[in-house]
Amino acid sequence: MMVAPHSHDNPVATTDSQMPRRRLLAWLSGFGLFASALLAVVSDWLFFKPRVTYGPNARFAIGKPDDFPPGTRIARDVERVCIVREGNKLAAISTTCTHLGCIVAIADTGFACPCHGSHYDQDGNVTGGPAPKPLPWFQVSLAPNGDIVIDKNAPVDPGTYLTV
Amino acid sequence: MRLALAIASLVVLAVHGVVFRNQFFHEWERHQTAYIEQARSFAKSDRERAELDARSPRIEQIIVTSFGDTHVDRCTTCHLAADDPRFGNHAEPLKTHPYSEALGDVERNGQWERRHKFADFGCTVCHDGEGRGLDTFYAHGQDEFWPDPLMGYVTQANWRKDFSPHLLGKEYMEAKCAQCHTEEGFAGTPHVNRGRKLFYAMNCYGCHKIDGMSEGTLGPDLTEAGKKFKVDYLWESIVEPRANLDTSFMPNFHLPQDDVEALVIFLKSRRGVNFAETSLDRYKAHVANVAVVIPPGTAGEKAGEQLLGDRACTACHKLGDKDGGIAPDLSYEGLIRDEQWLNDHFANPRSRVPDSIMPAFRFPTEDFQKLMAYLESLKTPPPSARDARTTFANLCARCHGEKGDGNGKVAWYIDPSPRDFTKQGFMASKPRARFIASIQEGVGGTSMPPWKRILKDEQIAGVLDYVMQDFAKEPFKQLRPRNLPETNPVPSSPESIARGEQLFVAKRCIGCHGRKADGKGASSLDILPHPRNFRNHWFVESVADKRLFESIEYGVQGTAMPSWIDTLSTNEVGDVINFIRSLQTTRK
Amino acid sequence: MTPTKKPSGALTTLRELPQNVWNSIFRNPLPSTDLERSSTSFTNFFLHIHPVKVNKNTLRPAYTLGLGLMATFLFVILVVTGVLLMFYYVPSTTQAYDRMLDLRGTVAFGIFLRNMHRWSAHGMVAIVFLHMCRVFFTGAYKKPREFNWVLGVFLLLVTLFLSFTGYLLPWDQLAFWAITVGTSIAGYAPIVGQQIKFVLLGDTTVGQEALLRFYVLHVAVLPAVLVLLMAIHFWRIRKDGGLSRPEKVAAPAPDAGVVKLKKIYGLQGFVRGPFTKLGNVPDDSVYSWPNLLMAEIFVFVLTISVILVVSLLFNAPLEQPVNVMHPPNPAKAPWYFLGLQEMVSYSAFWGGIGIPGMMAALLLLVPYIDRSTHGVGKWFAKERLLANTIFLTLVILNVIFIVIGTFFRGPNWSLVWPF
Repeated sequence: MMVAPHSHDNPVATTDSQMPRRRLLAWLSGFGLFASALLAVVSDWLFFKPRVTYGPNARFAIGKPDDFPPGTRIARDVERVCIVREGNKLAAISTTCTHLGCIVAIADTGFACPCHGSHYDQDGNVTGGPAPKPLPWFQVSLAPNGDIVIDKNAPVDPGTYLTV
Repeated sequence: MRLALAIASLVVLAVHGVVFRNQFFHEWERHQTAYIEQARSFAKSDRERAELDARSPRIEQIIVTSFGDTHVDRCTTCHLAADDPRFGNHAEPLKTHPYSEALGDVERNGQWERRHKFADFGCTVCHDGEGRGLDTFYAHGQDEFWPDPLMGYVTQANWRKDFSPHLLGKEYMEAKCAQCHTEEGFAGTPHVNRGRKLFYAMNCYGCHKIDGMSEGTLGPDLTEAGKKFKVDYLWESIVEPRANLDTSFMPNFHLPQDDVEALVIFLKSRRGVNFAETSLDRYKAHVANVAVVIPPGTAGEKAGEQLLGDRACTACHKLGDKDGGIAPDLSYEGLIRDEQWLNDHFANPRSRVPDSIMPAFRFPTEDFQKLMAYLESLKTPPPSARDARTTFANLCARCHGEKGDGNGKVAWYIDPSPRDFTKQGFMASKPRARFIASIQEGVGGTSMPPWKRILKDEQIAGVLDYVMQDFAKEPFKQLRPRNLPETNPVPSSPESIARGEQLFVAKRCIGCHGRKADGKGASSLDILPHPRNFRNHWFVESVADKRLFESIEYGVQGTAMPSWIDTLSTNEVGDVINFIRSLQTTRK
Repeated sequence: MTPTKKPSGALTTLRELPQNVWNSIFRNPLPSTDLERSSTSFTNFFLHIHPVKVNKNTLRPAYTLGLGLMATFLFVILVVTGVLLMFYYVPSTTQAYDRMLDLRGTVAFGIFLRNMHRWSAHGMVAIVFLHMCRVFFTGAYKKPREFNWVLGVFLLLVTLFLSFTGYLLPWDQLAFWAITVGTSIAGYAPIVGQQIKFVLLGDTTVGQEALLRFYVLHVAVLPAVLVLLMAIHFWRIRKDGGLSRPEKVAAPAPDAGVVKLKKIYGLQGFVRGPFTKLGNVPDDSVYSWPNLLMAEIFVFVLTISVILVVSLLFNAPLEQPVNVMHPPNPAKAPWYFLGLQEMVSYSAFWGGIGIPGMMAALLLLVPYIDRSTHGVGKWFAKERLLANTIFLTLVILNVIFIVIGTFFRGPNWSLVWPF
């Protein structure tokens, strides 16, 4: 409680009838300010969390399924993703090395990173080198207008395909 | 105090609550939720439904840097269905962006493919508006401070109410298409093309410059008109030329609304260097100064008359029942001007009337010849008037005004201004012979033409008497003879001219007549009649030395020219006159 | 409760943890005796700024109107909102405006925080000015408070400069041309004017350099200077014996002569100063705890509630992006400089430098010109009729000029009727 109930220096004598009113007002003030402070703290957190960033989009379209005939294994360096099509199944594997972030190249046996020699198999599992984790797979979906959409903010279990 | 504290605390809490709420139930979140629900009902597989369920409202953004500035377009946050073909019949904002062949879209196997993909173009490059905004008011550019409101869909609150309805319509977007599709005659920009033709047909090019298209210097440079101005300003400038500048002499062409719209769309597409052009392209076009190719006019007997209409001469001049209200009456031109004069005047109006505002048009020579022939054929004299009053009203009032005060309909546009006959000081101090000569022969270098082929001597005398009685209200006085040399006693020589120039400067002639002796001195704007332009060689050469002496030594009553007889000796005046004469460049 | 000395088991330690944490932070109980009330000034870091007892006159709302406190709290609000805004703003001519658009459009609470910042800024300039008027009209600048008044004048100037530097940051037409006008006025100073303008702008015209310099001044240099001056200003209040008050006419209360040396006053017993009298406590003072604290909280809540409501209802302006080729007609300085701009329209030097310079100098010299000690501590004391009249006249003139400049000046600075 902010207000000391007994104050010797209070010039106005407090009568008993004024105390409940005093208490109520004090409680209201305290509640109002405390709740506002709480809301303010929550708003500050929301304020700080950016709602938009200015880099390249994490969700992007890469073309129509017909642009990737069966058997395609093609790397898009700008988006840092490798598109794989086996039969009618599409997948997107990240080409960012899980070691320190270089762009891995497609090799016969899968992927190979030129920086520190990490090796991955065709599905992105680590087969050698300092990489600690396998290459993540991204969600591949079909947009209503027929485009293939890859969402790098939505990793999926390796082996998850989109059937087109 | 405790009560006030409690109340204030609760107010603080209330405001926090309101602000909190405002930040959370955004318009765009509602639209997105509606989209997700609708898409769910369209969904054809469980996987799709699962993906939709996992989706929560978020800000969608397209960042485009290929078109100059960085465009950050968040339009798809509300217009989430823009690229979803299933929402073709939905209401905005969840409506599919239309596909059309006009936009270059292609239909393949029942599915449309967009030519202008959103990921490459964004939205604002074509539609304008404020890409970064997230509510309707700001995002659509309805904020009057935003320079680029949604083209053709939005008008701003401070636009004039009589213009706003005309400024809406999809055709306005052609101005944006033309940013890339700059070629003349591009099929997707019919309004831009029409506007471009009108730019030439209505002779806008004569006064206005557009880099690579025209060289006019009388009006503002329109090379970047689309970048600098909103469509309401462009519209207003065409239909009400004096709206933003009282002293503008741009004519009002009274164009039909379709033409105004086409011109506005054309001008809105002028942004200096457009995206498809490189700076190098623009530079080359500028340097080449591509000659304006005006399609030749009609051939045939009535060619000249037809051309007069085609070339919009009556936008300024008067002929027949059309009158632009800006330039002289051409009805009797055959009786007033000769071929040589017309020829010179067409080629460069200022070669005959140095302060004329008529632009030098770049018609093909045949057109000029046809026009000239037609004008020369206008030899029907006006119906012979019974009285001087009618003659004056028919022939003189257009410039000199109905009240003879120099405030005729076109007086504003004429330099030197038509004489104000109510200036008694002037009218009473000049010999009658001079006035007669002015009417008969005209005044060289001015818009006062020779009337001797139209008016007989007694008519001229009658008009002059009418002017003196009704306007000057001053009977002729017998003027006191003045001591004036017949010719300049000081022979012209480089020394004399140099002395004259020094005097011209030292005695402050330049204050009115200007440093270049062209009548544009600092005080000239406030003086009527304006100080004489001494570079008007047609005029200066038509005036005898004696008269120049008189004007300088005794001043010109009824004007601001004072008498210098107490300040300058005769020889000094002679030097000044030599100086003035030396300014006259060779003809043409 | 005396702490037990027996060794505590691990479970006990864990159970007593919360209480121990709390007690280690808040080592003193909430005061219930005079002793405890006195000691709050020494046992709490923040409350150390308070004297133990404070004169009742100081707490009278009708005396100070709480203006000084309001100014301080507005500054606190400005710093908090300002720092928050700094997380999103970029002082670059190509990015600043876009960032303002983002603050308005996408950042959570961005528009509200910006509003709070802007209205607090305008509020602070106005309140600081009113505070100066209050201090003048109550004669509170007289000995021994002369230097505090001088500090106050400097605080006013720094506040104006803070507001001016912040005005440029949105980089819209309003900001750009207001600062162009303002710095041009500064350039009229003789001899040093052009140099000052060049250093201020970092260039001959307002551009990227000016934006960067103004940003640094606004977020770092000037706030630091302001805080420093404020600290000394508050220190001086304490050293001058608290806020000014009317001289006591009645005889002091009977027990005032009793000198009680009590150790509870701690260091205060050793402090020298003109008015710090040990034991000689006048009976018209009250304990700072809780009275002064309550007054401060009240002023704070009042200030922030006004700011919140105003920020909710009115949006800070954001006009067209900067277009250096297109000055608005008329181009007006920020409102607190419009009085200057109006005077400048009559005479560049006298209106921009001469008269404001003289007024600033006069303000600084006020306590050294007016040496009489009468009429302190009450509003519009009769003894100070001349001084109050002069000051009030100048204040009203200034306000009139600002009103003319705001409402009655249109294109080409011609007189217009605003309605």
